[in-house]
Amino acid sequence: MDAPHYPPAKAYIAPRRIPRVLSSHDTPIAVLQSIPAAWAIVNKEIPGMDRRIGNEQLQVHLGNFSLASLLVFGVVQPEPLKRIDEQLKALGEVA
Amino acid sequence: MTSLGRRPLTTTDRRTTLILAAGTALLPITAAASQTAEVGKLDEQRNRWPLRGISFDGDWRFFRGSALGAEARSFDDSAWRKLDLPHDWSVEDLPGSAGPDQIGPFDKKAIGKGATGFTVGGEGWYRKHFRLDAYPVDARFELHFDGVYLECDVYLNGTRVGGSVHGYIPFALDLTPQINRASDNVIAVRVRNEGRNTRWYAGSGIYRPVTLNVLPATGRIAHWGVSAWTRRFANGRADVVVKTVIEQAQGLEVITRLRDGSGAVAAEARSPGSAQVEQMLKLKGPRLWSPDEPNLYTLETELLRGGIVIDRLEQLFGVRIVTFDPQRGMSINGKPTKVRGGCIHHDNGLLGACAYGDADERRIGLLKARGFNAIRSSHNPSSQTLRDACDRLGMLVIEEAFDAWHESKEPQDFATHFRDYWREVIEAMVLSRRNSPSIIMWSIGNEIPSRATDEGVEWEWKLANAVKQIDPTRPVTAGLNGVLGQEMVVAAGTARPGRAGKVDNASTLFIDVPGYNYRLEDIEPEHVTHPERVVYASETFAREVFDYAALSERAPYFLGEFLWTAMDYIGEAGLGATAFLKKGNPPFYFAAWPWVNAWCGDLDLIGQQKAASLARDVAWGLSPLELVAARPAPEGTYPWAANWGWPDEVASWNWPGQEGKQITVRAYTRAQKVQLLHNGKMVDEKTLSADDKHTIEATVPYAAGTLEAVAFVGGREVARRKLETVGPAAALRIVMEGPSRRKGREALAYARIEVVDAQGRVLPEDERMVSLDLCGAAELAAFGSANPRAVGSLRASQARTFRGRALAILRGTTGGMVTMKATSRGLPAASVSTMLA
Repeated sequence: MDAPHYPPAKAYIAPRRIPRVLSSHDTPIAVLQSIPAAWAIVNKEIPGMDRRIGNEQLQVHLGNFSLASLLVFGVVQPEPLKRIDEQLKALGEVA
Repeated sequence: MTSLGRRPLTTTDRRTTLILAAGTALLPITAAASQTAEVGKLDEQRNRWPLRGISFDGDWRFFRGSALGAEARSFDDSAWRKLDLPHDWSVEDLPGSAGPDQIGPFDKKAIGKGATGFTVGGEGWYRKHFRLDAYPVDARFELHFDGVYLECDVYLNGTRVGGSVHGYIPFALDLTPQINRASDNVIAVRVRNEGRNTRWYAGSGIYRPVTLNVLPATGRIAHWGVSAWTRRFANGRADVVVKTVIEQAQGLEVITRLRDGSGAVAAEARSPGSAQVEQMLKLKGPRLWSPDEPNLYTLETELLRGGIVIDRLEQLFGVRIVTFDPQRGMSINGKPTKVRGGCIHHDNGLLGACAYGDADERRIGLLKARGFNAIRSSHNPSSQTLRDACDRLGMLVIEEAFDAWHESKEPQDFATHFRDYWREVIEAMVLSRRNSPSIIMWSIGNEIPSRATDEGVEWEWKLANAVKQIDPTRPVTAGLNGVLGQEMVVAAGTARPGRAGKVDNASTLFIDVPGYNYRLEDIEPEHVTHPERVVYASETFAREVFDYAALSERAPYFLGEFLWTAMDYIGEAGLGATAFLKKGNPPFYFAAWPWVNAWCGDLDLIGQQKAASLARDVAWGLSPLELVAARPAPEGTYPWAANWGWPDEVASWNWPGQEGKQITVRAYTRAQKVQLLHNGKMVDEKTLSADDKHTIEATVPYAAGTLEAVAFVGGREVARRKLETVGPAAALRIVMEGPSRRKGREALAYARIEVVDAQGRVLPEDERMVSLDLCGAAELAAFGSANPRAVGSLRASQARTFRGRALAILRGTTGGMVTMKATSRGLPAASVSTMLA
């Protein structure tokens, strides 16, 4: 039986991002915020969204949390997320 | 009545000097050691050269606050408080503290607020006078700090010789150029814990041990210069690769040995010295290390010149191979092993951040007893004492470097230093810990903000690669919350082996074994897309215990869970709070002052099981059945529990004032059917379905007496649990926990003080003041309860019980008998005597 080996890589070349359709489940909130058309959809379906995520402790996680990540905290409800997803899909793939 | 037995400030007494001077004739070089080295270590080390790991913890002076010019050798510190390390000033009573906004060490206005449990940082100074006259004139001196929180500057005789900004990493300083060999030397350490720099209780000061290494003038084993790992098992033999970095290696010989538990040499290799020596130890019939059988060897490295040992290092070592693959999950020495893990913060409860070997062994022992086989040192590198405990007791460890990288979570946290010091942190963490058999993964971060941005991804690569450059034998992990980020493709040369050109997520590109925080629902669907991943839950809610147990059983690629948290800790106050909310109000409660501890642990702050732990006992097969009652909600309210909490359940049938009212009771079991008997009469019977998640719930009208649950499988009784109404308080009881194997100031003794009825049953709701009198060879290191709210000092000789219990922690002084008497108004006193070596 041999021990595993996790060798270091040689050099860093920035990975290539694959364009994707935005969604309430997979896309970080910070990314939605950075795309005006997407964030307008969110605000339309969840009024006061900026206030809801204005909490200092939540702010630092907006790059990791999707809208669906907030369900457990009760910050958003499932129903608006479905409508948001339909409209985000209409935006097509985003780089 | 506490006796401390202080020693003089100068640290080489005449008797020690004479003994060592006599030894000079017999040894190539001999040395005097600090006075504190007499505590436990010097006897073992006196006959060996060099002297490594000499305790430097004794006889410090401390001042809480700014002290202008205190780095100067001539500074008058005679009025400063004397103390021995480890020391954490944030857990000490605030000067002049008075309620209701200042209680013991807790201050409602503390800048850290609930994050630090309303404890206070600030600035503190330490000074220590010492002499090194008796050492050879050309000896070199290296001072090793295992951890200082937070930013510190170390001065020797007025000159800055180093410092640290991280708070949790060890660091070593070469004192030699500034040492005065003919007279008094003064080490001064300025420590600052300022601003909002942490999300949990960090403590303040030199909270981990300090040791002195006395080294030869030329030639030495480099600091953290030995790495060893098990390469292969074959034909009843283990091949262990050892690399040794040597400074000034010319003309030296390296001997590396593995000694078994009896001290016998199990394998040995000899090589001529060079800057880096690689040796292979071939170990026949190895006794393997695992959580179930933590067999340890001593890895001994000697440097010789002309046949005379000039440097020598001993470390714990365990022979084991840990592998990860999606078909079998984690295997230890070929045996598939599920992780039953718990996250822990670094504080030792009532002791604050102070790292004591006995405290860490107790903590790890408590977790082992509850079935845990792994801890995640969240979110910082652990202490040497904790890792030693894990190595010795068999507890797997994930070591974690960072809670933030380039973006802060708190305004003054380590992100402010990250770009300048990240490599130093990685190196200190990995180099100092890589020989610990208990460590299975290196975590490069927890819930890192903006980790999926371009900059975040590059940091992910840099950090993972920096780890692997030092230790390519363990996988890199990270605690990932939320979503995993955009899909990306990595080029060959940048990617992990086998991953070039393949689609992965931004957060997992360079992570060998991703850890998921609170992503239970994502794990199985994600496996369909990424069957190559081996994953685990790096943080979980206690309420999901049965879900994770089931997932562990059915998903081989899922290693297991790390509960948040295994044990309560100071700070993140009320994270697991429970409350009764007014009916009609929304289900939201903010656990503000005076909440000071997280209250999300399976075990409470003093180590007692909470209801969540009882359920886990069932989930993990430690118990066939557990029975609890939910605390009745006051009229007009409903019960609420935070996400990290557990319903307010108690293994108690003591609800005075609730007579005739319905009490919700729950039983946890893996059996098929449960009967409930109230005062001997069956009041309910339930058959469990798969949807019940091993939990039955019933309501029983309360009457004092007994409530009993009986579990059945196939019609056969398999277990029985009974709750009893206890009588009024009749006595105090002191229960001493196991004796310390340490000596002097390193020895702690834990004494549980319990309020019991006439039949010796603990009163589950009792709260009353208890006073202690202590006499003999110990001092009171801490006294308090598991109460998650600020109720008093953690250092005074009076404390209020909580749920019928309090805990006293004694610290040895000179060795000998200790007598402790506990009194409480209206109850007979209790007393106990114990021996501390």
